[in-house]
Amino acid sequence: MKTEISFTLNGSEVSVVVNGHLRLIDVLRNTMSLTGTKEGCGEGECGACTVIVDGQAVNSCLYPAHEIEGKSVTTIEGLHMPEHKLSKIQQAFVDNGAIQCGFCTPGMIMSTKALLDSNHNPSDEEIRDALQGNLCRCTGYVQIVEAVKRVARQLKVKQ
Amino acid sequence: MKRFDYFRPKSLKEALQLKKTIAGAKFISGGTDLMVQIKNRELQPTALISLRSIPKLANIEINGGARIGALATISDIIQHPELGYNYPVLAEAARSLGSVQIRNIATIGGNLCNCSPSADIALPLLVLEAKVRLQTAKASREIPIDQFFIGAGESCLASNEILTDILLDPPHNKAKATFLKKGRVKMDLAIASLAVLVEMEGGNCHKARIAAGSVAPIPLRLSKVETLLEGNAISKDLVSKAQQLAKKIVSPITDVRATEEYRRQIVGVYVKRGLEKILG
Repeated sequence: MKTEISFTLNGSEVSVVVNGHLRLIDVLRNTMSLTGTKEGCGEGECGACTVIVDGQAVNSCLYPAHEIEGKSVTTIEGLHMPEHKLSKIQQAFVDNGAIQCGFCTPGMIMSTKALLDSNHNPSDEEIRDALQGNLCRCTGYVQIVEAVKRVARQLKVKQ
Repeated sequence: MKRFDYFRPKSLKEALQLKKTIAGAKFISGGTDLMVQIKNRELQPTALISLRSIPKLANIEINGGARIGALATISDIIQHPELGYNYPVLAEAARSLGSVQIRNIATIGGNLCNCSPSADIALPLLVLEAKVRLQTAKASREIPIDQFFIGAGESCLASNEILTDILLDPPHNKAKATFLKKGRVKMDLAIASLAVLVEMEGGNCHKARIAAGSVAPIPLRLSKVETLLEGNAISKDLVSKAQQLAKKIVSPITDVRATEEYRRQIVGVYVKRGLEKILG
């Protein structure tokens, strides 16, 4: 049974026809060709598939596509700046060596964005808690937490 | 993955009607457990009937006590301004569940209906003596939460019934409670967990409620330990007896996460630690 669903994807209104068994990540990667969002475990453990739905970080591998009707989804592709420049969070990850293979990075960055959108001045514990659901097997987490702190400092200066 | 249909009914009546009509259909709330079971082919539903579009099912109302809609997410519970103030042990357990991404989607009703022995939310609700409201097309019934769980993955819900609300009595001003959870890392399922609630009156324990997770087929009330504590001053000697008794009456298993012996040990330690934390 196919159903048409409409939602906001990275600021644009889109409509897609989806089967009942599809997940949000299937729609993003296969239908919309937005392959920045990765599927790691497919079980909500690794966080590589993290996207933001209505301001909240969620695992797109556990999110039935039909539930996205009327909601607003932001993926890593939605972070790009004019002239293909990196966003502040992405640049901070690069500058801090918080990336090696890069597979976990889109998820890490989306979790970071969800955190910083709601909390401009997170403590170390709040940062670690926000990234608890994102696994990285290469860099270790020190550089990643440092990168988040760097962006938070920049936001603070801006205020 | 096997294909299935997905329905988003707008009322309980419609949801129950669909369940009746479609053989092999399952209800889905947050889906953080269900979607994994489907992926691993432990479940092969013919259709999913989502409860997420039913109005008011996710509401949280404070009315002296509290009514928590079954579809309230774990994040809703943590962020609710009054709920955590009135029932801190519930918010404490909610914060320990999964990751941010899971907490944003997983629901309190789903956590209960999945009937995992490690269900984090079940323990505070057991010590707070919550009731759950179950609804069919024709009638609704309220049962104490300790009668809800029957076995691992099994509740007393009939196939034509939906868990709609969790009901809490007004908080008792002398009651203090805490939640303890052992995992390898913070977002793990509990290796063992414990919730303790104590009401003291004139130096004696007037009321004790203790519930343990991951140490029996269901989230378990330790009634014998409660009886041992009630009516007595909580001395070092009594705490030690309570620890021994708790270790004896749980029935944990050995699995990939921990051994039976270790789980028993943790329950004993947590009885002491829980009581110490509450009594200062």
